[in-house]
Amino acid sequence: MDSFIKLENFATVAKYSSLFAQGLLVTVLLSVFTVLIGFCIAMVMALMRLSDIRPFRFLGIGPDGYPRESGALAVISRFNPVSFIATAYVEILRSTPVIVQIFIIYYGIFGVIDLPNFTMFGFIKFNRFFPGVVALGMNSGAYLCEIIRSGIQSIDGGQTEAARSLGMSQIQNLRHIILPQALKNILPAIANEFVVIIKESAITYTIGVQDIMSAVNAVRGAAFVIVEPLLVATAIYFCLCFPTSKLIAYFERRMSHGDKR
Amino acid sequence: MATNDSLIQVKDLKKHYKGGAIKALDGVTVDINRGDVTVVIGPSGSGKSTFLRSLNLLEMPTGGSIIFDGVDITKKKYKDAAGKTVKLDIDRLRQKMGMVFQHFNLFPHMTILENMTLAPVKVRKIPREEAEKKALVLLDRVGLKDRADAYPIQLSGGQKQRVAIVRALAMEPEVMLFDEPTSALDPEMVGEVLDVMKELAKEGMTMVCVTHEMGFAREVGSRVLFMADGKLLEEGTPEQIFTDPRSPRLKDFLAKVL
Repeated sequence: MDSFIKLENFATVAKYSSLFAQGLLVTVLLSVFTVLIGFCIAMVMALMRLSDIRPFRFLGIGPDGYPRESGALAVISRFNPVSFIATAYVEILRSTPVIVQIFIIYYGIFGVIDLPNFTMFGFIKFNRFFPGVVALGMNSGAYLCEIIRSGIQSIDGGQTEAARSLGMSQIQNLRHIILPQALKNILPAIANEFVVIIKESAITYTIGVQDIMSAVNAVRGAAFVIVEPLLVATAIYFCLCFPTSKLIAYFERRMSHGDKR
Repeated sequence: MATNDSLIQVKDLKKHYKGGAIKALDGVTVDINRGDVTVVIGPSGSGKSTFLRSLNLLEMPTGGSIIFDGVDITKKKYKDAAGKTVKLDIDRLRQKMGMVFQHFNLFPHMTILENMTLAPVKVRKIPREEAEKKALVLLDRVGLKDRADAYPIQLSGGQKQRVAIVRALAMEPEVMLFDEPTSALDPEMVGEVLDVMKELAKEGMTMVCVTHEMGFAREVGSRVLFMADGKLLEEGTPEQIFTDPRSPRLKDFLAKVL
């Protein structure tokens, strides 16, 4: 019986090593931009979800002057359209497969909008890379939104009370008191999301982004070997993700140390 | 120090929940005079904290009015001296009311000095150097000048509360509100915080203080309010309240705490 891994096939793969090097660069760039875009989306969405905009608030006051406790009017009076939009965004993106989202963005939205056809670093096709980043960014934005929201909500209410009692506005409170503490607390979770994105970005090869997976595909097409390039890809992904998560764990330990001074 | 110059007039203040089924405050009317140390006592659940927190609108009352500096702060708009309708700026009013909390609520991500200068610099737009200089003078007064660069977590409870007091003072408020400032402290640290408060009272600061420290109420208070079930049941000088209580609720309360 033939062994399912043949050493000589690695020599074949080696001939395409520049493809893997390019793929590595694309994967790293893809992940970095995804986290940046995702974080910006998440920040806006989290603040939208925590907003207190109730246009029908007046309907919630009963004839006796007290707030209504139940009934249709009480429900309508609590309706917050801004928060509703953000919640819908988060729930839809978390409840549908990434590959569907990527295809909708790539074939749907960027099928209509024409992107400039140029290459970055001489080989990254912008009109493939950009839709990939947008789709992954929108998806991770939904997850990061929930991380940021829980981070903000985990800060003790006394902090806000103290800030407001000193005359600080709601925005000053958020900017100087709540967000610095919340972001410090959720930094490990954000870093973990980065590791998840590195792995998830592999799916973008389906829309022609030249990442590590697309190098595997190229070797398969050209040299008819599949297992060996996959093993190389496995090794590269592992070398990216494992040290990153270990680094995160290290900083997490150090930061919790700081808290116990 | 007591005057008859009233700084805050509270009229028929109400805070009801659940369509009026729960009455945390049920029609409290009282004047807080400039220079007075008003001590609020009463059993737990009597509404004394709600009353105090209503004064700077950390709790929004459901009825009645609070006149501070001539403005009803429970309304969203008011008429200014020229008769123009102006939107109430609660942040500006809160600058004039310092507040000290049971659980200190120092900002843990900032040093003591940053805790004290943040609001003066960001809210009152005082130059940082000036704010720091003033903060150090205040810290020196409570014996914590050498801890200016420490973080709150490095301080004891008593030290934290002293910092919280001077943090509020750094905004140069007209009145200081204390919400059970010694209740979360170890017994041996209560004294150092009360000493700072006594000092403050001596300087003529207007203070409203919810406390369980009857000794403090007796010694420092110029006026004592006794609250029960959301109502102001009895008020008077410390002598009147502690030596000649009239309502049975107050007699009962004093028998338990003294």
